[in-house]
Amino acid sequence: MSRLVRIELLKLRITRLGYGLLGTAAGLTALFSVLEGSRAGNGGAVEPLNTSSGFNSMITGGVWALVLATVLGATISSGEFRHQTATQTYLATPARGRVLAAKAMAGAIAGAVFGLVGYLIALGAGLAFVAGHGYQVPLSDATLARYGAGHLLAGALLAAIGVAIGSLIRSQLAAVIGVFVWTIIVESLLGGLFTSVRPYLPYTAATTLSGSALGGAAFGPAHNVSGGTPLPFAAATALLAGVAVALSLLAARTTVRRDIT
Amino acid sequence: MAVVEVRGLRKRFGPVTAVHELSFDVQAGSVTGFLGPNGAGKTTTLRMLLGLITPDAGTATIGGKPYGELEEPLRQVGAVLEASSFHPGRSARNHLRIQALAGHVHQSRVDEVLELVQLADVAGRRVGKFSLGMKQRLGLATALLADPEVLILDEPANGLDPEGVRWLRGLLREFAADGGTVLVSSHLLAEVAQTVDSVVILDHGRLVAQSSLAKLTEAAGRGGLEEAFLRLTAGAGKEVTR
Repeated sequence: MSRLVRIELLKLRITRLGYGLLGTAAGLTALFSVLEGSRAGNGGAVEPLNTSSGFNSMITGGVWALVLATVLGATISSGEFRHQTATQTYLATPARGRVLAAKAMAGAIAGAVFGLVGYLIALGAGLAFVAGHGYQVPLSDATLARYGAGHLLAGALLAAIGVAIGSLIRSQLAAVIGVFVWTIIVESLLGGLFTSVRPYLPYTAATTLSGSALGGAAFGPAHNVSGGTPLPFAAATALLAGVAVALSLLAARTTVRRDIT
Repeated sequence: MAVVEVRGLRKRFGPVTAVHELSFDVQAGSVTGFLGPNGAGKTTTLRMLLGLITPDAGTATIGGKPYGELEEPLRQVGAVLEASSFHPGRSARNHLRIQALAGHVHQSRVDEVLELVQLADVAGRRVGKFSLGMKQRLGLATALLADPEVLILDEPANGLDPEGVRWLRGLLREFAADGGTVLVSSHLLAEVAQTVDSVVILDHGRLVAQSSLAKLTEAAGRGGLEEAFLRLTAGAGKEVTR
């Protein structure tokens, strides 16, 4: 299995798409964090940066890396069909379930890197703004470390979910659009309408894992409602892992078995 | 000794029966031409043989095992299926690096096969910039990478220039002379007649002939393989690409 994971990581390293997505994630995280930092303490929605809420708003920029990690995962699997490289892949490794598992693991490793990069940029921007204002960092080192671990885990698990989605949908364009529609529109609407289910929505759970307030990383209605308690760290991790495994098993039993014509 | 054995293979795609109760053998140390008009079921058969398409009935084995059960498939079988199945953003060398890792092949072999198929000068160029002929050569390099015992090739001469076709003929003859087994589909009957030892001919998904080339062309008289092919597939109303 480790050989198969190495193959998938090699494919990622020698293809430009992954670097492009990572660059996009870094750029969006930086932009979002700086915008939040500039708005903080001006009497608007963002609290001053010497409060944990205000500082959290800046850290939330890291969720862009999580969205892009999911997109990366989707391209890892669906790209095989877009470029018809599935033929060569399955000739080399006829056990398709093992290929899917290796892709999920490679996606998780790359997704963790995305999460880490996003966190470092958001944290760096946050620390720079706090220093600029002459404030003390309002969060403990332990909390900051937990947010870092959360970004890493959330990026890894969302990328693995992306791999499963790409395996199920197989059309790269549809898979990528599907990821954006789900994270930006569907979860925001569902989370806004049903606050009781909001903590259990995968993208929302991933963002709370990475330190965002519940709804803090939502793009629409769910951003402005209160209610519900974020899942604890372990529960959010287990939920995302469960979704990744369930979708992977579904793909392995359905679309992955299809004829390669 | 039969290396490739196909028995009662059947595949339907919706209302269309692509392959119907097909059985044939490919002998070790020979080059076997796999012929048929367009839509005869050649590609579907080759993909079933390689485990990419699941047959509705029947078996297809290589060395006595279905492709999916081969322990080191790339070391046992090299395949060229279509020239378009390369990631356009990867270089030829990087494509082969991936396959080398998958096939437990030392990376130094990558440069050897690039030399062999005369792509060493463009090894660093992205495959998206390659001509059809260059992609065919890269496909052959991929197939030969792990030094397999069997080659399964679907229209490998497409896009090759006359020098390339001649080079391919020599390669396949040499491969068989060294004990290897080749199953090659082609529409280029004149070329096939110069390359193969025996032929398997399909029409509408059914076997219409399996014979040594010598016997088939002898029976056809002066018209040779082309005459035999057209006679066996007569009534199909299909064009034969030359």
